[in-house]
Amino acid sequence: MRILVILRRVLDPAGIVAHRRLRRLFINREEYLIQPGDHSALEAALRIKDLGGAEVVVVSGQPEPDDDTVCRGLAMGADGAIYLSGEGFAGADDGVAARLLQAVVDRLGGADLVLVGMTTLDTAQAQLGPRLAGALGWPQIVGAWSVEIVDGRVRAVRRDGDDYVVVETDLPAVVTVPGRALEPRYPDGARLVNVYRGEGGMGEAVLRWDVADLLHPEGLVPLLENRGRDFPPERELGVRVEGTTEEVAQAVAEALRARLRGA
Amino acid sequence: MDASYLDLVMAQQEETFEDAEGGGGVWVVAESAGGEMAPVTLEAIGVARTLAESLGAYVYAALLGDGVRLLAETLYQAGVNGVRVADHQGLSPFSLEPHLGILVDLFAEEPPEVVLLGATEIGGALAPRLAQQLGGGLIEHATTVSLDPTGRTVEAAIPIYGGEYFEVVACPEARPQFLTIEPGAFAGPFLDEYRRGEPTMVEVEPSEPAVRVVGLAEGFRPPEVRLAEASLVVAVGRQAGDPAQVERLAEALKGRLAGDRGAWDAGLIEADQVVDVRGTVVSPDVYLAVGIRGDTFHRAAMEGAAFVVAIHPDREAPIFEKADLCVVAEPGEVVEALLTAIGSAD
Ligand SMILES: Cc1cc2nc3c(=O)[nH]c(=O)nc-3n(C[C@H](O)[C@H](O)[C@H](O)COP(=O)(O)OP(=O)(O)OC[C@H]3O[C@@H](n4cnc5c(N)ncnc54)[C@H](O)[C@@H]3O)c2cc1C
Ligand SMILES: Nc1ncnc2c1ncn2[C@@H]1O[C@H](COP(=O)(O)O)[C@@H](O)[C@H]1O
Repeated sequence: MRILVILRRVLDPAGIVAHRRLRRLFINREEYLIQPGDHSALEAALRIKDLGGAEVVVVSGQPEPDDDTVCRGLAMGADGAIYLSGEGFAGADDGVAARLLQAVVDRLGGADLVLVGMTTLDTAQAQLGPRLAGALGWPQIVGAWSVEIVDGRVRAVRRDGDDYVVVETDLPAVVTVPGRALEPRYPDGARLVNVYRGEGGMGEAVLRWDVADLLHPEGLVPLLENRGRDFPPERELGVRVEGTTEEVAQAVAEALRARLRGA
Repeated sequence: MDASYLDLVMAQQEETFEDAEGGGGVWVVAESAGGEMAPVTLEAIGVARTLAESLGAYVYAALLGDGVRLLAETLYQAGVNGVRVADHQGLSPFSLEPHLGILVDLFAEEPPEVVLLGATEIGGALAPRLAQQLGGGLIEHATTVSLDPTGRTVEAAIPIYGGEYFEVVACPEARPQFLTIEPGAFAGPFLDEYRRGEPTMVEVEPSEPAVRVVGLAEGFRPPEVRLAEASLVVAVGRQAGDPAQVERLAEALKGRLAGDRGAWDAGLIEADQVVDVRGTVVSPDVYLAVGIRGDTFHRAAMEGAAFVVAIHPDREAPIFEKADLCVVAEPGEVVEALLTAIGSAD
């Protein structure tokens, strides 16, 4: 059983400030997290491995050399890592990423399960998993709160309106996992040291693949284009609520109701 | 005036577009539940009409489901020019493959320029698969939509980090341009009951779903939302009056109970409930501060909240600088009245 887990990085929101009045973004600390959904997906893969054995391979990529994301995956317990980079990678969107990952699956000679975060923390896009399922022609389960392998099939708990239901499909399949689904384990201390130790460390085991070897240049052209930023209006000065206690309570209750309806 | 006379006059002017060609149109994939159109579908039609106006195009709706034919009426009233209906018992409840197959065939026959769906569970499952299969671009969770200066490319804003700021994105080279729109972000159109049309029925033989629902996940509970990610926080301070009552308020509002450092010192909350830059930083949709003065560290840790209500007896309390709604009063009394007002007093 080979499980591929896609790890993407995201700027830690604690290090950035969106200044509404100046309509500017300040990046005070450029630090990256693993997308919470991807992190949770890796935990799901490792639990399957703990229970019944599996080869867990993490895949990540960035235009510039930075393989910290895959190294953290190895430290958590992944067996192998693939790191994609090279010319023409910048600005890759989910369509490009899906094509790249399809090529990765081909080059590995197949996989049984691909796990990836359901949405991204920053842009809240939820395209990569379904697009990849479409590209591979595999079934998809979107938003799995738990993932198991039962009798050679994948079984997951998924939301259905206000309920949670158990769903099942054949392997190979693509399953996306919400960021809150599973608490990721801490990296094992010894593995962590091993991964980051230069020569002979596990970090050396990362396969570095050039995207140019995986896709024709036209396959790397993104469809999505960024056209600028916008900021919410500045916070207005607060409104004083006056009146009897009952009137004030009514006004607050009304405001809360309106806010919660909109949310 | 006699209503039946008005009916007659209007009926003469009734627009029907049953024969309008679908090529290049703006399409909405309709979603319904329990025999009613989903509000987000009507909102999408409003957006589609605005785009179609500038594009010089028609608006179409694809309506898939079991026993949904009559709902086409609502779509015409909302202002679409044509409706394609696939009515089959294999299309309810929703599963991906049957819907995907029908829509791919439909869009291959009548290639859209723009396709709008709701940013819902169904829209979220369908849109990326449609975009992948048809070579289209997709922008999810759009909160504003307009056309760029060339006049044929849709630009949409999407919230980043839950709305800290927005990124404006477009798919200039891709056709169709798929968008899912955030429910509640756009106004629904006026339903004109004099607008009518005759939907085109599509003969379908839905394919088998690839994912089987085994049954309810008995006893499954998702992990509790962490304070930092809670969407509603009720925070207690030393001036709160009766802390137990504030806890009841948090329960009634289905929010998370928290507090400031002073509340922790006073033993009202646990360490992991302290909202403070040295503790937990929160950015909920609603933050209710009850009896909190609001020192610098507390204010810095909650200023990301989208809507803040502050209740404190001292009008000079710094917490009011961060509040959208300021209540200068004894918190104990206000909370008690608030529990009554939201119908949760015991
Ligand atoms: C396996 C795999 C999966 C991938 N999946 C995706 C995917 O799902 N979606 C996708 O878009 N790309 C994906 N990529 C492509 C890769 O992540 C992009 O090349 C990268 O996001 C491009 O961003 P960048 O060049 O700005 O890099 P960086 O500057 O390193 O940016 C990294 C992240 O930070 C964000 N960021 C940068 N600046 C800011 C800022 N000022 N404010 C807020 N956020 C900021 C970017 O949006 C990006 O998400 C994937 C690549 C691989 C190999
Ligand atoms: N790194 C930053 N993070 C957040 N806000 C900042 C930052 N730098 C500047 N500001 C804000 O921008 C204003 C003008 O700063 P400056 O652009 O440096 O003249 C300051 O008063 C701050 O409010």
